[in-house]
Amino acid sequence: MNTQLILNKRHKECLNENLVLIGIVILVVITAVLEPKFFTPGNLTNIMRQFGPLSLVALGMTFVIIGGFIDLSIAGIISLVAVLTVYLIQPLGQIPALLIGLAAGALMGFINSLILLFFGAMTQAEALFITYAMSLFYGALALLSVDGATQHMSWIKRDISIFNEIGGGSIGFVSVSFIIFLVSLVILHIFQTRTYMGRSICLTGGNKVAAELSGIPVKKSIMLIYTISGFMTAVGSVVLFSRVTTASPVLGLNYETNTILAVVVGGTSLKGGKGSVIRTMLGVALITLMSNCLNLLGVSTFIQTMMKGAILVIAIWLDNRKEL
Amino acid sequence: MNTKYMGKRLYRIAMQQKAFLAIIIMFIVMLFSGTNFYSKYNLVELLRSSSILAILGFGVTITIICGGCDLSIGGIMCLSGISTIMMMDYMPMWIAIFISVLIGAFIGFINGFFVVHQKTEPFIITLGMWLLLKGICQEITGAVPISSSNMKFMMIANGKWLWHIPNLIIIMLIVFVLMHILMRYTQFGRNCYAIGGDYDVAAYSGIRVVWIKWMAFVISGATAALGGILLSSKLNSGSSVFGDTTALIVNCAVVVGGTSFAGGIGGIPQSAIGVLVFTVLDNCMNMLRLGGYVQQALKGLVILAIICFDCYSRKRKREDV
Repeated sequence: MNTQLILNKRHKECLNENLVLIGIVILVVITAVLEPKFFTPGNLTNIMRQFGPLSLVALGMTFVIIGGFIDLSIAGIISLVAVLTVYLIQPLGQIPALLIGLAAGALMGFINSLILLFFGAMTQAEALFITYAMSLFYGALALLSVDGATQHMSWIKRDISIFNEIGGGSIGFVSVSFIIFLVSLVILHIFQTRTYMGRSICLTGGNKVAAELSGIPVKKSIMLIYTISGFMTAVGSVVLFSRVTTASPVLGLNYETNTILAVVVGGTSLKGGKGSVIRTMLGVALITLMSNCLNLLGVSTFIQTMMKGAILVIAIWLDNRKEL
Repeated sequence: MNTKYMGKRLYRIAMQQKAFLAIIIMFIVMLFSGTNFYSKYNLVELLRSSSILAILGFGVTITIICGGCDLSIGGIMCLSGISTIMMMDYMPMWIAIFISVLIGAFIGFINGFFVVHQKTEPFIITLGMWLLLKGICQEITGAVPISSSNMKFMMIANGKWLWHIPNLIIIMLIVFVLMHILMRYTQFGRNCYAIGGDYDVAAYSGIRVVWIKWMAFVISGATAALGGILLSSKLNSGSSVFGDTTALIVNCAVVVGGTSFAGGIGGIPQSAIGVLVFTVLDNCMNMLRLGGYVQQALKGLVILAIICFDCYSRKRKREDV
């Protein structure tokens, strides 16, 4: 009797821990049964491409949320990095442009963290509005720098083979953007679980005062999480504009909500201190697979938005229930 | 001695109300700009353009004072405008408006269930709710803007009443007074502040925390619906793209006004000032003929400056103790 109870409890815990994974499996099975096209190599490559930008941005955002903060500036950063990089390809060539774009992303994240630290914004709410203001500012810079005009990559006369490869290339049926994602995932996972700074970020998110008192470099952690977020956003931006081959100064609009939702659905708590990049990967997988499956089943985009919202609300609710 | 004391006191008051200070600075700058800023028409227009945002802001203020926040207002205002226009074909206008406000209140009720009863994060749940409502709006309109042929509906927001004051301003003032009385002079309002200050202490003191915080979300939903109906009436159209950025702007305006996002501090007048900062800024920049992109950058900088100064004064206070 007693062992039965314990077993039940363990089953329940296991079920609760892997809710997102179970959701993904159910989704894949249903779609595979209803639509045989799902498991064709073409569709798998397609899913991997759709994985691209959102997953990369979400990886960076995971650290910010684990650290107990939030970053809304990614919408502005995506736009500014895209515009800047595409603009620089013509005078500098593709590799310097790419490097400068990535560095600019990291720098913008770093500036965010400096502002937060200088004015002593230590809560999530303060960070929310400050990064929102920064997002408006970066977005405006992007618009001002090109006067609102979209930059087309097909107009560039120099070699853009790297961007073509990132946007459309694939090795076997694995797309290049997915390989970038996997590499980033492995590096960030090792960083989070095996290094001192990675653990510091977790502890900072858990309780800032306690972390500071026990000698954890809280300020350094905050700088690091925003820099990582800025850098990963820049990587996501490069993947995004390579895929659509145009860099619009409003490219990143509304990206922040999708990213935060993906991270939180994966199971990273907004309260901070808990979560991992693997969970974020599952969250992104749920969202991308869902839109792919619904597309294959011929559901209209309007209903897709609706279902996305409903599933997100339910997923967050169920995830929260186990803490009650 | 006395003047020194007065100066210190003025400084303190100014530091407490940075948003008000910002408005005064903008008014002074406009004095020297040589534009029509101080014409009667422009000043009335200023209030008129701020009224819808203000009505949304008053509802959100209550949820923020209770220690929550509401990002679903964008979706609610979009849905309520559309539903009013669609329902007007089948029933009298006032009943359609009443039902739409009820729909808004019901969505607030659902938000409240998740946030208060099930103790989820308000930020993320209301964000998900916004996505859900946006999908519903797109589905029922087919993502095409709809409009009404009923001229009476248009006149709600565009008409004028006593002494040629636009209806929008009158409605905004009524909502303002009601909300202010509710928050300032009733048990409900005082309990809201207590809940925002410390949820557990409020619960132990015998306040019905769940019910009151839940009602805060219902009120926020209802005011958002009212704002949405007025917006649709002002433009005579309902579209699923309304309110995409409204939620963040309104929450930001409330915080800029001086309501603390941690809960327990703030009030309806502060939110009115916070909303005015944004509309006065917009109006000034339009008067000075700045381009749209420069306007966005300046708006970002103003939000940044006000919130950063707030943070900085809190940091100073923390370090003094």
